[in-house]
Amino acid sequence: METENNITEKQLHKDLLAPVFGFSRRFWIAAGVLSLVLLAAGLGFTWMLIKGLGVTGLNRPVMWGFMITNFVFWVGISHAGVMISSILRLSRAEWRLPLTRAAEVLTLMALFTAALHPIIHSGRPWRTMYWAFPYDFSREIWPNIRSPLIWDVSAIFTYLISSTLFVYIALIPDLAIVRDRASGIFRSIYGALALGWRGTNRQWQLHGIVSVLLAALILPVFVSVHSIVSWDFAAVTSVEGWHSTIFAPYFVAGAIHSGVSAVVVVMALMRWFYGWNNYLRPEHFDAIGKLLIAIALGWFYFFSMEFIFGLYSLEGPEIALRNMQIFQPPWSIFSIVFLLTAFFIPVSLLLFRRVRRNILAMFFLGITVNIGMWLERFLIIVPGLARKTPFTFDWGTYRPSIAEIGIVTGSFGLVFLGLLIFAKIFPLVPISDQKEGQAFKGEIQIGRVKIKTTLRD
Amino acid sequence: MTNKQVLGLCRDADTTARAVEALEKKGFSGNEYEILTAIPYPEGTFGEKPGKHRLYIFPFIGALCGFSAALLLTIGTQLFPPLVTGGKPILSIPPMILIMFEGTMLGAILFTVIGVIFESRLYGPKLGLYDRRITEGFIGLLITDSPERITEAEQIMVGAGIADFKHSLTSKDNK
Amino acid sequence: MPDNTTPAKTEYRSALAPTHIQPMNKAGKRFWLAVGLLAIVFSMGVAGFIWRWQSGWDDRPAWGYYAATFSFLLSTAQTAPLISAGLRLVAGPWRRPLARPAELFAFVGILNILWFIPLLKVVPDTQHRRSIWFDSPISFQIWETIALAVLISCGLCLLYMASMPDIAAKVGKAPGKQGFPVPLGLSWRGNPHQWRILKLGLVVLGAGYIIFLIFQQTIFASDFGLSLVPGWKDALFPAYHIVSSLQAGTALLTVSLFLLRQWGGLKDYIGLDTFKGLGRLLLVLTLLWFYFWWSSFIVLWYGRRPEEQLLLQLFVSGPIRPLFTLVLILNFVLPFLLLLWSPIRKSIAGPVIVSVFILSGTLLDRIRLFTTAFSVTESGEVIKTLPPTRVPDTADIFILMGGLAGMALTYLVATRLLPVLSYWEITQGKILESEKQIGLRKVKMVAKPE
Repeated sequence: METENNITEKQLHKDLLAPVFGFSRRFWIAAGVLSLVLLAAGLGFTWMLIKGLGVTGLNRPVMWGFMITNFVFWVGISHAGVMISSILRLSRAEWRLPLTRAAEVLTLMALFTAALHPIIHSGRPWRTMYWAFPYDFSREIWPNIRSPLIWDVSAIFTYLISSTLFVYIALIPDLAIVRDRASGIFRSIYGALALGWRGTNRQWQLHGIVSVLLAALILPVFVSVHSIVSWDFAAVTSVEGWHSTIFAPYFVAGAIHSGVSAVVVVMALMRWFYGWNNYLRPEHFDAIGKLLIAIALGWFYFFSMEFIFGLYSLEGPEIALRNMQIFQPPWSIFSIVFLLTAFFIPVSLLLFRRVRRNILAMFFLGITVNIGMWLERFLIIVPGLARKTPFTFDWGTYRPSIAEIGIVTGSFGLVFLGLLIFAKIFPLVPISDQKEGQAFKGEIQIGRVKIKTTLRD
Repeated sequence: MTNKQVLGLCRDADTTARAVEALEKKGFSGNEYEILTAIPYPEGTFGEKPGKHRLYIFPFIGALCGFSAALLLTIGTQLFPPLVTGGKPILSIPPMILIMFEGTMLGAILFTVIGVIFESRLYGPKLGLYDRRITEGFIGLLITDSPERITEAEQIMVGAGIADFKHSLTSKDNK
Repeated sequence: MPDNTTPAKTEYRSALAPTHIQPMNKAGKRFWLAVGLLAIVFSMGVAGFIWRWQSGWDDRPAWGYYAATFSFLLSTAQTAPLISAGLRLVAGPWRRPLARPAELFAFVGILNILWFIPLLKVVPDTQHRRSIWFDSPISFQIWETIALAVLISCGLCLLYMASMPDIAAKVGKAPGKQGFPVPLGLSWRGNPHQWRILKLGLVVLGAGYIIFLIFQQTIFASDFGLSLVPGWKDALFPAYHIVSSLQAGTALLTVSLFLLRQWGGLKDYIGLDTFKGLGRLLLVLTLLWFYFWWSSFIVLWYGRRPEEQLLLQLFVSGPIRPLFTLVLILNFVLPFLLLLWSPIRKSIAGPVIVSVFILSGTLLDRIRLFTTAFSVTESGEVIKTLPPTRVPDTADIFILMGGLAGMALTYLVATRLLPVLSYWEITQGKILESEKQIGLRKVKMVAKPE
């Protein structure tokens, strides 16, 4: 059984800086595979650029399909970072320490990937660019701030900038560590990035204050982002199943659910890929597993309320939509798979300590949850649009094309490649936090039992 | 007169604390010494007094700037030209609130980061008198003073148990 | 790693002796005066109820204030044990002094279930209105009663189980005095097996209380709010009711702790740390309150459906606007601005003053929601006209005051029956704390057993 060992500082630096200071074969293989996956997106996108949006499965009335589902999915994953980093920091959950940076970087990459999707989806992204930049006034028609799509832009932009700064500020002491070990031009580059950090009392004092301050400031942004994305749908009255007041907290709960599950996957990969068994231990998986149970239960409450109140008013079109989702294949199959993978299987298994402490089990559970959550977004977006119009002859269906499947698949490649490259350049586990935890841990003896203590300053 | 610097290095917080106490007894003030560590020690570990800062002002200023910018943007884009969309009033308060909220938070966060860089004196890559071993776990006690006082400080540090020193001629950069 | 820390001290502070909770032994003059006053106001409430009874069960608008009072009691007193149960699962040492004071509010459930029975007569069955029960053959009244009964039972079981070690130790009793004539401590001896069962039981009952409260509040908000107003389809309203209750329950707990500290002689046990923790919690819940209200509002506002615009007028912007504005100020604006300021949040008086605002705001909010819902007598698919706003008459005022007095009276009685602090949890906290010398600084270290 793995326990927390007393790791020397030298060993800690060696383990956690190994990816930064060396190129392993494993890195090249992983980079190669992920680049190939990303290539799928590139090919799909290029084909779409050449031939137009007609190569996608989109058609009246289903104008939003795989790409928007993926957009919402990645915005959801981006909630991982703030959840782990900010909420757990403010609630003083010490077990979060090794995970924070990976979760924050996952946030950045997920958000960046999400932000690409509306641009790709526009079909002619260069037109989107010269419509948006400079902020359009040439035709004297400004972007409509009453539209939730513009709220999206402001929210995602704010969240992206905030998360980037959050990661950077937390990274500064570790950049100093890398600077002191680097040489040549790399020493200058890391030195410039570290902004002359020396570890003075004042610097540490302010670093501590700003970490808490940024955590508190970024939390409302974190809640607002996915709420605003949800209002892209909830504000619309013409699509059945969309106009519901519960969408905002429902989406946020779902985002936290999928985000934290994605962090579990990333944790397992970090442990296996880098051999960080001493730093990402079964107790971390146990703690995050318990958190997942609480999050899943909250999410399920919102899902149930959304479903019940969808039927509540007994409106014909709404009933027809739910009927299609539950009883008509393939939607019924998707619904069953969604419920099983997003909630019933993970929660039932996570109740067992043995499962929570089993890394492989947690890895697969994390993937399972994300399959379910991807399907959840799909089942919200597409069926409603398929039944959008009041006349049945205008009802449509949707079949994703190869281009869309390629773009969606490639997005996973982009996120994980981004994580891999980040880990190559910067330490993925916060070294200063690890050292601090090691330095100030203690034990008390009560009778014959020794219990670990943590600092409460 | 050009100030000199001396950096004493040791691995032990107690030794450093003893050295700081001894320095303060001999009249060295908080402005003349700095403690460099690889991890944040609890406030007062070395007997230092908490530094005063104005970090909290920055988020407020940033929030005000962000709020104002967002207010102008939202009012301006709705009024020029005034187009009714979706049956909503020309100056629709709820959407304005959303964008003003985002602007406020962005301003607050940006200015907070600027504030911490400014207040922490993180102005650039130059380190002054420094030793790489600090990030390996050594604690550095950096004294900046006149040459006579530097000699005295070094003797005090030796008396407290610090044996490893680095010197610079001036208080300017010395890698 | 630099080995620059001295080993942790292995001594721990001496545990609290049962007689340290001495001040609660005696019921002094102040206690009896409070009981007397509250009993008088409560009987005014009973008189108000009888007066209202005379108007008959069918005059639904007349019962709006009665329903609002019940909702307030549900949202405050019955939510307080949830705060303790939830914090027991996640929070640090600061939550220990508030555990028992929060759980004692489970006693108010006895008053609540009695208060609830007349409401079942007032609200019509679901045959001619929308309901979350759809065509269930089991009447909604049965579901409601079962849910409330289960919740109250769970709360009382939680309270009893958490008190068992202290009952057995005769905590709060003067030396030589016996505890209950009935051995309510059962055969508690405090062996490791019993402690394991106790801890498991507290987790299970705590989780159960959370789930049952969420369920009960959801169905109450739906049956006695949403479904009374044709066309009011707001999936978020039950969740809003829950979050608002969490905020109000925390506020009630804060005020109670302050009163216990000041007048219960418990200053040594209920300290600044507890109020700091509650202050932070109140700030988060205040933000959540606004978030849940706003999420509902923006969707209804944006949709521009005529029936939804009428609903907004009914509850927010129509004749009810002054009341709504007051609620917004008391439940969000003032608490947010005050708690944002660190010196206020990290004090004792700050969170208490904010809590008073929140409790007032929640009471007004419940009046806003339930008197309005009860005053709608239209049936059909959607509401077509705004009903008149009901101003409280004398009976309504008596009912409101009687409800609040009844809650306080029940709680005071509970403090005489069981030890008002969780002696065993506070002692456990003391044992798990230690100090460590780092340089010139002594720092607190806290142990967290698995």
